[in-house]
Amino acid sequence: MTPSRPQFTPEQQAEVRRLQGLYPDPQGALLPVLHLAQDVFGYISEEVEEYVAGLFGLAPAHVHEVVTFYTMYFREPKGRHIVSVCHNLSCHLAGAPGILDHLRRRLGIEPGGTTDDGRVTLLAVECLCACEMAPMLQVDDRYEGNLTPETVDRLIDQLQ
Amino acid sequence: MPKLTIDGRPLEVPPGTNLIEAARRLGIEIPHYCYHPALSIAGQCRLCVVDIEKVPRPQVACNTVVAEGMVVHTETERVLETRKSIMEFHLINHPLDCPVCDQAGECWLQIYYMKHGLYDPRMVDEKVHKPKAVPLGPHVILDAERCILCSRCVRFCDEVTGTSELGIFHRGDRSEIGLFPGQELANKYSGNVVDICPVGALTDRDFRFQVRVWYLDTQKSICPGCARGCNIEVHVSRRRVHHAEGRRVVRLKPRFNEAVNKWWICDAGRYGSAFVDGDTRLQAPARRDGEKTLEVAWTEMIPLAAGRLRGYRADEIGILASPKLSNEDLFLLRRLCDALGVGAVDYRVPPARPGDEDDFLIRADKNANTRGAELVGLGGADSRAILAAARERRVKCLWIFCHDLLASAWPEGEVLDGLLGAETVIFQGTNANPTSAYAHLVLPAAAYPEREGTWTNFEGRVQRFRQALPPLGRALPDWEILGRLLQEVQGAPRPARAEDCFRDLAATVPAFAGMSYRSIGDAGQLVQTARP
Ligand code: SF4
Ligand code: SF4
Ligand code: FES
Repeated sequence: MTPSRPQFTPEQQAEVRRLQGLYPDPQGALLPVLHLAQDVFGYISEEVEEYVAGLFGLAPAHVHEVVTFYTMYFREPKGRHIVSVCHNLSCHLAGAPGILDHLRRRLGIEPGGTTDDGRVTLLAVECLCACEMAPMLQVDDRYEGNLTPETVDRLIDQLQ
Repeated sequence: MPKLTIDGRPLEVPPGTNLIEAARRLGIEIPHYCYHPALSIAGQCRLCVVDIEKVPRPQVACNTVVAEGMVVHTETERVLETRKSIMEFHLINHPLDCPVCDQAGECWLQIYYMKHGLYDPRMVDEKVHKPKAVPLGPHVILDAERCILCSRCVRFCDEVTGTSELGIFHRGDRSEIGLFPGQELANKYSGNVVDICPVGALTDRDFRFQVRVWYLDTQKSICPGCARGCNIEVHVSRRRVHHAEGRRVVRLKPRFNEAVNKWWICDAGRYGSAFVDGDTRLQAPARRDGEKTLEVAWTEMIPLAAGRLRGYRADEIGILASPKLSNEDLFLLRRLCDALGVGAVDYRVPPARPGDEDDFLIRADKNANTRGAELVGLGGADSRAILAAARERRVKCLWIFCHDLLASAWPEGEVLDGLLGAETVIFQGTNANPTSAYAHLVLPAAAYPEREGTWTNFEGRVQRFRQALPPLGRALPDWEILGRLLQEVQGAPRPARAEDCFRDLAATVPAFAGMSYRSIGDAGQLVQTARP
């Protein structure tokens, strides 16, 4: 849960300053700081946008532009694990629709949804640059390829 | 200064000039949406492409600055073809809203489509739909489907007002203009985004569905809202009197003046014209007789009012003139005071609350012509002392212009005692107010769009406002009322036009020496003392 008033710890604030120092214009650190905020607060709520805007001296509207532009910022609470199934050409030809259907049934959610227990968020995404292992998916920061319904089941079973 | 050639015509412009501005100097209009001379360059719409010799591909004119020897072509076949394709892109998801869109008739999508589009649509897919009729704030309403994402409105809020309410959210064909959730577009200049939006995405809430723009007539004018005197256009509806609930002044638009307001006006000024067609307008000369109010003809009123003025000793008359009157009005009033020998004249009545002011346009003084009143030389007396004299029955005839004394900083009791203390209260103004209710004689004045005149702004710039409409009912311009009174009192011939009054003013008052309506022109002219 995002607390109503988001606030980084002193260590996290130091990290923000470090990131801002990496760029000729501190605004360049907006994306990494938003990722940090997403890790800390779970997702980027409007309150988090306002908080981050304050750290950069930006208008909240301009942080909102960035957050809505990119797909990897979550604007609603997400599951503990993110399963992103590639549905682009190679994976599609190699059976991605079947994999996605299997996950739909197995998890009881549509792409974009999160299981009731908050365990998994399912996404259908564009090419992840791993056509050689089509059909493939990304679970958190790991790639898994040459999928079958059985390997997918095993993957899901392992997620806590 | 770099020399270049545009469409075969040589010219020389200051370094740093972009190609849109350079071409403009030759009278060549390079079509564009996102470029605005007051805002940073976005290079977003791509419509302004031109061909430059020795450059392989068409370039955007807005983001290309002139260079020595540059040879530019704005109408090559390739440029025309590119414009057409870009128009096609801009219109891919555009709704077929023209029949219900307030922008129709002054929309740059329509204009450029007719000039540069005219293609057969090739889209077979359903258009992307976005929110429609979303109020963004008190004055502006958004139709996100009509937006072409030029970002002018965003840049205006970032760069001109510094309020940054707006942004472009999401991506690709889902991109849309919007506010940060929970925010409003409520800055003091919000209406300007409607003017700079080239399409019907941002429109005025108060103009919505009121009247088609091609039925409007326009006239050059000056905002009466404060001492800045922003240059405006008054847009009036006279050809469709059944539209806009019969309002005649349907909107005000800024008129560019480099020295005064650039491209902008504030919301208070823009949306402040309702009084002109308001219910409280005074439309006929009237005389109060006990409880009864009788309308009378001007031919009866002028001798009546002049008789009252002559009937009192000069020191029994007190005049509260108004800094909203024009220079012409004030000058005639001065002449009338001279003729009557009246010395108790002032125009200063303090407002109940000090007006708001900022470091951009808005001035705390909400009167258009305080400087003019100073220069014309009215106001040797003290207005509060005049009121006190009325309370003490020393002033028996109180002539009040425009002011609502009951809404001033003066205590209500003091004002009421003054109003009730005078034997004769004359009120002259455009609209009734609580003070006018105490008047024995009411002289209805024409509102500023109904007459000619000049105001002098706080910097000393004399600016002309012009007549867009006939006066409502039997109202007359103040200068005309005063001219008739002067004729009655003095037998002097009365001026036929406001310009005649100004000529006399210029011949009499040194600050205005040498000025004329012609020399004032559309941009205004500084009075002698304010010139560098
Ligand atoms: S709303 Fe109008 S001004 Fe703003 S980006 Fe869209 S088209 Fe441009
Ligand atoms: S700043 Fe003053 S003169 Fe200008 S539009 Fe506003 S009220 Fe009118
Ligand atoms: S005006 Fe040049 S890109 Fe829009």
